[in-house]
Amino acid sequence: MNDALARFSVATPLILWLLPLALLPLWRSAQRLVPVASIAAGPADGLSRAIGWTLRLAGLLAIGGLILALAGPYRNGETVTRTGIGAQVSILVDRSGSMNETFAGRQPSGAEESKAAASRRLLGDFVGSRAHDQFAVTAFSTAPMLVVPMTDRHEAVRAAIRAIDRPGLDYTNVARGLAMGLSQFGTQGAQVSRALLLVSDGAAVIDPRVQGDLRAAFAKIRPNLYWLFLRTKGSPSISDKPVGEDTPQAAPERHLDLFFKSLGTPYRAFEAEGPEAVAAAIRQIEALERDPIPYTEQRPRRDLSGFAFGLSLFGLVLLVAGKLAEADIRRARGSVAPSAAEAPPRRMAA
Amino acid sequence: MRALLTRNLRDPRFRLLAGALALVALTFVLGPLPLTRTGVAVLAIVDITGSMNVRDYAGAEGKPVSRLETAKAALRDLVAALPCGSRLALGLFTERRPFLLFTPIEVCGDFSPLDGALAALDWRMAWEGDSRISAGLFRAVDMAAELDTDLLFLTDGQEAPPLPSTGGPVFDGKPGAVRGLIVGTGGYALSPIPRFNDRGRETGFYGSGDVQQENRFGPPPADAESREGYNPRNAPFGGAAATGSEHLSSVREPYLKRLSGETGLTYAHLDGPGGLVRPLLAAATPRPLPGSLDLRPFLGGGALALLVAVFASPLLPLLAGTLPPGGPRRFATWKKA
Repeated sequence: MNDALARFSVATPLILWLLPLALLPLWRSAQRLVPVASIAAGPADGLSRAIGWTLRLAGLLAIGGLILALAGPYRNGETVTRTGIGAQVSILVDRSGSMNETFAGRQPSGAEESKAAASRRLLGDFVGSRAHDQFAVTAFSTAPMLVVPMTDRHEAVRAAIRAIDRPGLDYTNVARGLAMGLSQFGTQGAQVSRALLLVSDGAAVIDPRVQGDLRAAFAKIRPNLYWLFLRTKGSPSISDKPVGEDTPQAAPERHLDLFFKSLGTPYRAFEAEGPEAVAAAIRQIEALERDPIPYTEQRPRRDLSGFAFGLSLFGLVLLVAGKLAEADIRRARGSVAPSAAEAPPRRMAA
Repeated sequence: MRALLTRNLRDPRFRLLAGALALVALTFVLGPLPLTRTGVAVLAIVDITGSMNVRDYAGAEGKPVSRLETAKAALRDLVAALPCGSRLALGLFTERRPFLLFTPIEVCGDFSPLDGALAALDWRMAWEGDSRISAGLFRAVDMAAELDTDLLFLTDGQEAPPLPSTGGPVFDGKPGAVRGLIVGTGGYALSPIPRFNDRGRETGFYGSGDVQQENRFGPPPADAESREGYNPRNAPFGGAAATGSEHLSSVREPYLKRLSGETGLTYAHLDGPGGLVRPLLAAATPRPLPGSLDLRPFLGGGALALLVAVFASPLLPLLAGTLPPGGPRRFATWKKA
């Protein structure tokens, strides 16, 4: 009962202070006052009494209903959980300065598209292509930046993605970015499909001290990891072994790839050397992430002031009918014979 | 019978009741009236440099709260209070440039991600430690122009390193082309600036020797010759180490007011975790938004007034005219049949 009541609310509760006005009809009547020498002279009449109370209640209803309607009653919206097809995708975008160059490693000119602009366009299409995906956006350069928390509001996610082709910052510090990208999944149960999508054009050495923490976080959250590596033409590939010493400093891309492979979570790297390759990679990711996902649907709150106006209208109709049927004892006697039907209002009014 | 009815129809209280009935009936017929409301589109740039960590605001129970936390709370309050349809873009400021996190987001429908993003703002997002306010502000003005929004720039105005004696960069845009607000954040009294180690843990406060007290790049100031130990070649800034209060921080209101004058923005001081709505709406470009006006409260209010008049009228002797003609002395009398 309390739960049911708690779902109802009014927009401006202060107006409800007017509610005592609804008691006015109990005290004063809208009917004409007819002075009678002795009310006791008339016989007690059940019907008259009933009509009298009906009119009083009608007045109460009319005033009370109006005050309630003015306060704006509504039933609270509710959140319904359903199941759809989709995934929680945490997008981790590299915002280092080199992302503003083309895939050929130049400043974009004419019709050329920078890596950031290409990922902006293609990721923007990816977001919102399925209704029930949830997205979070994290940017990183020297420091990670939480841009948009995990949400199903795709317009907000697209607004975040629209900002990724603006001039970037200094360096690529991928470790802290990964940590924040993982933290976007939250701590709730992992029944949903989770994907961490790293979009970067380079890699950096992950500090061995942080590696342990990252491994633990990956083991706990177990996301599918996708690395969309936007390779500049001529730069080393993920699989290229350096000529000299094979250290993380000499070939950070290769060692980041090795680190991801060692995590034990499903992992795929996509090496894209142009916008078409990026689009193909995103299509593949979309096809891979097809699992049921519980999503919440917000049912809007329902305005109930119509009902309150209806109550008031009902009361008013009764009151107006009462006024129309009003008969006056003196006049009535002069013109038409007093009948039982006309008598009650008179008695009530006295 | 007809005479009765005409008499009833002529009764003022009947007319009031009928009027109320008509008004209430109209609430079911009339739809909402379409009209134009004003909203804003604004780019909020939040200074996340070190001096914004100074705790010189009082929070709940008098606990000290940092400037950044207060600015965040004020922005969240602003987002909740802006008319629906208004849009907010968010960016960070540190070093010498603003960094856009997202393009404008609608404040009602996308409230929860917007609120979450504001709550997640952190000084640890800073990519570099400098705080060149004027350079950042001028570029933020350009960014707002590019996004076609107004600007809301929250900063304490402390330049780090201090501006050289020749002055800071010069605004080369058109003053007033972008409207908006510079919000001075921080108390008026000097407070120590918390210091963090490279793991992000607080380790104390900055001392006077930890920060640059004077900008010694570029030519020395005009008064350098009168300084102790001045030597044009070996000690152009004088022989002594610079002293000052750059390791302490307060809101640099005169400086921010000067900047707002140069750029054609309005200046406001942030007094607590709220209160940005009024100055922003006053300073920002009003943008028309489709809205609708529900007429029912007006109709209902009118009906209520009529109804109360009906039932309260017997209380007013002025309305005694509703009594039958001849006044109350003409009693109806009953005769024995």
